[in-house]
Amino acid sequence: MSEHDRWSEDLAAYALGALDPERAAELERHAESCERCRSEIRWLMPAVDALAEAVPRQAPPPALRQRLMAEVRADARAAGVETASGGLRERLAGIRIGSLTWKPLAGLAAVVLVVAAIAGYEVGNGGGGGGNASTYASPPSSPIAAHVVSADGSGEIHLADVKPLPENRVLEAWVRRDGEVEAVKALFVPDREGNASTMLGSMRGVDLVMVTTEPAGGSKSPTGAPIAEVPIEQ
Amino acid sequence: MAVKREKAERLADEELMPLIGAKDPEAFAVFYDRHGGVAYSLAYRIVGDPGAAEDVTQEAFISVWRSGARFDRARGSVRSWMLSIVRNRAIDSLRAGAASKAPKLTFDDDAVLEQRPAEELTEEEAMRHETADEVRGALGLLPGDQSKVIELAYYGGFSQSEIAEMLGVPLGTVKGRMRLGMEKIRGEIAEGLA
Repeated sequence: MSEHDRWSEDLAAYALGALDPERAAELERHAESCERCRSEIRWLMPAVDALAEAVPRQAPPPALRQRLMAEVRADARAAGVETASGGLRERLAGIRIGSLTWKPLAGLAAVVLVVAAIAGYEVGNGGGGGGNASTYASPPSSPIAAHVVSADGSGEIHLADVKPLPENRVLEAWVRRDGEVEAVKALFVPDREGNASTMLGSMRGVDLVMVTTEPAGGSKSPTGAPIAEVPIEQ
Repeated sequence: MAVKREKAERLADEELMPLIGAKDPEAFAVFYDRHGGVAYSLAYRIVGDPGAAEDVTQEAFISVWRSGARFDRARGSVRSWMLSIVRNRAIDSLRAGAASKAPKLTFDDDAVLEQRPAEELTEEEAMRHETADEVRGALGLLPGDQSKVIELAYYGGFSQSEIAEMLGVPLGTVKGRMRLGMEKIRGEIAEGLA
């Protein structure tokens, strides 16, 4: 039996990361001088990659992206990299609305939003991260708890405790501006914890934000009663 | 000056990495939007808990942000590298007992599937889905003893000697099952590409 044959039974385990550390280190030393081992490991790696790709897909919670981008932008600023101004999402990063927990990255704006969520009224201006932020909450009678945060002229809506939607339905947000109802560009779906968020775009002239469930792909105008409504004071 | 989002979206992963290494948030945002879904899904598959999966994914991406310049393209694709970081962190999290639930060990539960409509998938994503389907199919076709050792190793983080002990079979048997199973999956992928 050649030295290569002695190791060949271990190559799949090595590729899977299932060799004991000492054995793996030994194999690596051997592979430095064994082209056949290196070649077989290279051949196996797509199978390992495919195991990662084969998992059932889950949508990551939007708050995860917000937290990451907040940390990344803070790092970039510290490193002196000029960046576009961090959006509202980033300034509110770290918040997990459903459970009202947040991570240290959140900053003052997150605290403002949590207070608003509990109190259910407009908090006022100047709360978050250097811009003017106002938070509005849906009335207690609303079927779904919703909060709209408006900062620097742009808004974002957060929903909590949304029940899972049928596969062919999505959430669509609408703004009433100067008496006309307009669709918001992005459609959204709740995560597994029932939280959902989307950007609303410009809040200029908006006095009401609504959310309806619509067929996949969205609708040009609301086809059902709102599941959430948030009045906005101008 | 950070690269604009539109420009970053046109760049390949390998071209994004130097920008991420130079601390460009827009490049990182594009990178996350491309791979965050599968990364979170893999973490969830391993740790079996949404909160722990979120933490694992966050740590993994921050680690890429802080060490992006260390990516070595000679060792595979950026996505593979990213997913290996996620997998290692998820296994560490499991071992530390951070996750409250045991990992699922079979592909039988298809209750939670891709949540985005098919028409939103890019061509590249669609190909990945096909490969994922083939692997799920291949795992389903493997003799149960072969798929079990592979799943315990990859998603459970167990070493082959731990698996031998758990299953009460000789180490050589585990090695053989693992090798045969992986060769079949690899063969299935090669066939799919042919």
